[in-house]
Amino acid sequence: MPPVGLDNLKHIVVLMMENRSFDHMLGGLSLVMEGGKRKYPGINGLTGNESNPDNSGNIVKVQPNAKFQGQLDPDPDHHFPGVDLQLFGGTPPGPGRVPNMQGFVKDYFTQTNDVNRSHNIMYYFTPDKLPVLTTLATQFAVFNGWFSSIPGPTICNRAFAHYGTSFGQVGMDIFYILDPILSAYERMIQAKRTAKIYYYDEQSSTMEIVNLLNNQPQIFGSYGQFIADCQGGTLPEYSFIEPCYNDHPGPGGGEILASDQHPDHNVQEGEKFIANTYNAIRSNAALWDSTALLVVYDEHGGIYDHVPPPTCTPDGYSAKPNDTETGEGFSFDRLGVRVPAVLVSPYIPKGTIVPGTEDPANGRVFEHASIPATVTNFFLNGDAKRTDREKKASTFLDLLSDQKRPDADIPYFKLGGH
Amino acid sequence: MATPANEIRVPDAAPGSYQPDRPAGKLLQSQALHLREALVQQLQELSALLAVNPTTLKTEREVSLYVHRATAILHTHAAKPKRK
Repeated sequence: MPPVGLDNLKHIVVLMMENRSFDHMLGGLSLVMEGGKRKYPGINGLTGNESNPDNSGNIVKVQPNAKFQGQLDPDPDHHFPGVDLQLFGGTPPGPGRVPNMQGFVKDYFTQTNDVNRSHNIMYYFTPDKLPVLTTLATQFAVFNGWFSSIPGPTICNRAFAHYGTSFGQVGMDIFYILDPILSAYERMIQAKRTAKIYYYDEQSSTMEIVNLLNNQPQIFGSYGQFIADCQGGTLPEYSFIEPCYNDHPGPGGGEILASDQHPDHNVQEGEKFIANTYNAIRSNAALWDSTALLVVYDEHGGIYDHVPPPTCTPDGYSAKPNDTETGEGFSFDRLGVRVPAVLVSPYIPKGTIVPGTEDPANGRVFEHASIPATVTNFFLNGDAKRTDREKKASTFLDLLSDQKRPDADIPYFKLGGH
Repeated sequence: MATPANEIRVPDAAPGSYQPDRPAGKLLQSQALHLREALVQQLQELSALLAVNPTTLKTEREVSLYVHRATAILHTHAAKPKRK
């Protein structure tokens, strides 16, 4: 018998934010004290002693100085060669290289040419600054070991969330489908199930353009439609939500802020967006009872994290040295930098922490191929042509239990005000 | 539903956060390039269709194929933006 939470499950909703590392957003939870002890000892966050060398030979420790906006401009490098420097500290590609996470400050200096500003890459938020993400992380399930799929930028990482592969891409170029591997949405539609990608609005649109927007426009909807579908009980079985990617005028001349949290967009606006999405599901009792919401970030955006990314099952593709710009090819056999990920459901025990690489015996590694893997396994019994990478990716619905938590135990977000 | 015990306040972004004139980053520039690529594909489809003279379509099969392709182009998912 499956757990009641899994038996009740009818909807999976994934909200993918932009460009923040685990330590930057959630690492401060490890430093919260209560009664003289660490309040969240299982969370693999920061000790306060993690450091990077800067270009003047100083040791720069992590600091709780992250601001909502104005601190990460220029946008920190997160393209393949830059992430290579961040991970390996400048050790050139070659056999036996091990990531030491010592090149973040050096890499940001290449953009800022200012030693002091290069330290900003080590800043993290204190939990009180991020009431939404830290509440969800501590009240539901937080993953210590969810990594971006590629040590590179947005487009190729998001491709893993849709297809379980980027078809050999490690950059921002358009990627084309090379094999009969369908997106999770197409798999669902072909099997007479329901799936949708909700983009914020037409001014923001989607990052999944050529392959899906051009060929399967019927699977797209707006965020307004998502809210209406939550209220009306018409949410598809699988939904993928894209935040607003740019500041732009709203209808009637209002101001719409980017909510993706991509530097240098306002992080608080992203908090509101996550809260609004959560509230929309939570406000419909039947939907809340039958939905699992995953909030995850596509990649780290060049911002420091202390956990070296592990190896992974290759996806069968390779990138050439010209594509990686490191002088060495890439076999998609190791992951990118760790990102925040939380899973929300009334059937998840409060304070669930999913151990990661810090626990060799029980730790589990997740990455964005875990998303189509979970959707395909749950709704389609795994029946789809997939890469080995996706087939072997960890899935996350086993976190749902038999026990539904009482309503009084479940947080609700009140939006607005200063 | 919400009680004072489980209600968590989420503040608005500070005034002045709205910066639509900030330089667009690589992600947004890539997005625009990808949209252009998609438009080129649409235009190629449109060009191929416009090259067909409808008066040469003789059978219902031929007409239905033409109508199918034309409808797919015209019946776009997104509403067209208002002209300024």
